[in-house]
Amino acid sequence: MPVDYPFPVKALIQQLKRLPGIGPKSAERIAIWLMQRGCEATAPFAEALNAAGTEVSECDVCGFFATEAEGCAVCDGPGRDHAVLCVVEQPTDILPLERSGAYRGHYHSLRGKISPLENVGPEDLRIAELIGRIRDGHFAEVILAFSADVEGEATANYLVEILSAFDGVRVTRLAHGLPVGGGLENADELTLYRALEGRVGLR
Amino acid sequence: MAYERSVLSSLKASQFRCFDSLRLTLEPGVTLFVGDNAQGKTTILEAACVLLRLQSPRASQLGETIRIGHDACAIGGSLAESELLLQYSEKAGRKLRLDGETQRRSADYLRASELVVWMANDDLALVRGGGEGRRRYLDFMAAQLYPAYRPALQAYDRALRSRNFLLKRDASPRWAEIDAYTRLLAQHGEVLTRHRREVIDRLAPYAAEAQRQISDRDEDLRIAYEPGTTSGDAADDLATELIARRDEEFRKRQTIAGPHRDDLSLAVNNLPAAKFASEGQQRTVALALKLAQSRLFLEMRRRPPLLLVDDVFGELDPGRRNALMAAWPADSQKLITTTHLHWLDDRFASAAVITVTGGQVAPANR
Ligand SMILES: [Zn+2]
Repeated sequence: MPVDYPFPVKALIQQLKRLPGIGPKSAERIAIWLMQRGCEATAPFAEALNAAGTEVSECDVCGFFATEAEGCAVCDGPGRDHAVLCVVEQPTDILPLERSGAYRGHYHSLRGKISPLENVGPEDLRIAELIGRIRDGHFAEVILAFSADVEGEATANYLVEILSAFDGVRVTRLAHGLPVGGGLENADELTLYRALEGRVGLR
Repeated sequence: MAYERSVLSSLKASQFRCFDSLRLTLEPGVTLFVGDNAQGKTTILEAACVLLRLQSPRASQLGETIRIGHDACAIGGSLAESELLLQYSEKAGRKLRLDGETQRRSADYLRASELVVWMANDDLALVRGGGEGRRRYLDFMAAQLYPAYRPALQAYDRALRSRNFLLKRDASPRWAEIDAYTRLLAQHGEVLTRHRREVIDRLAPYAAEAQRQISDRDEDLRIAYEPGTTSGDAADDLATELIARRDEEFRKRQTIAGPHRDDLSLAVNNLPAAKFASEGQQRTVALALKLAQSRLFLEMRRRPPLLLVDDVFGELDPGRRNALMAAWPADSQKLITTTHLHWLDDRFASAAVITVTGGQVAPANR
């Protein structure tokens, strides 16, 4: 039999290959890089991995990442506007909205979007939790912030219908606008088309 | 008057259908490809079509065009001052480059490209076949004229597939989910309807004129838009109609109205062409539709399209052949395939002739 890597290296490559965006060649490269640096590199790596796996969980309320020790930075954070709720597809969508500084309300991650062709239905998403929060909370406005593709728009349409049962809750969605700093000639046609349809009166 | 145009001066392809490696220099005027059937002639035109328009008249997925036993293909070419390159692999999908620079959006790539008209012997199916072929003809044309058309068509198709899937999946359909797609169909369908109606309105006089020219008789061709809805063109109309016809959708388990059921009606001397026209008249209608497309491109974009003419010439009688040559845009670059050259005359004196045999090309002796 030809010589191969010893078992621990093979096992590591096997694990790395399972990560998104990592092929067999990259997995091998990363494994070798770690091996050549030994414990100094692998120990903190293993520690970080373990901590992320055991300590981080999904916040039961908003779906963002939370820890036992510190709770959820969104739900438990100070200075939140309790009258606005922004619904997003993924917990990672919360960070860019936070960084924009334009929004101080609460969030709700659905953990995906409706996509029958990929076998994802409303019951696979955190929609029941969303309805519970709106029923029991004091939200005056719910903002739907989904991607501008077919699945994102279908999910928005579905929620608009369901949320129409709540009188006194305004449902809005993000406007489709032009990117800042981009001239008209740099915008793609669909963006322009939507920006035109969603144009805003000035006087 | 001479029009501005971009000449496709070279065409390269690798692992594309029967071609391991294809390298061609093309004439600004006419390049003829001669060979028996199934030797790769049509594939050359297909490569040009995919390179310039990112879609093939012969394949619904680019994956179908990869040479058997390989997992990626590439097509490239020089169009005027620009270098176009398209790479496709099953794993990484489609990649576009313009002058070496990666283009993330196909719209940016297509802006640098040229208009294309595809004419083929089997265009007869436009007259005799089902509505799908006529919708494809309209789509190929409208996508080149209106930049918002392609994204709307892609979104409409995906929403339609999702909606039909939901209608079939459950014994008791979940209408709340289905209606989420109803509104999407209506919204994107409205874009398709509006542009199809406009394109057909503009096309109609050119189609009538081309029919008269090719038939050399007073044959009266009328084309008209036949919407796949019984209501109006507005987005709300389609949504309202689908909700009103829910019982019918429940029985048929599919989306029963919308642009996916649109058609283009064709009548010669006031009678439906599929049923009542002679085969000769039908061939003329097919040619007239493609010539009308060229003239519409000239009128709307002030550019003569690249003509890809597949296996049409040898099949036409001399009368129609002469009429076609008199009517097509003189300024257009043309790539023409044929199985024989009996019909070749002085009008093609400056044309290059290339033989195609078993996926190999060579300049021909004339
Ligand atoms: Zn939270």
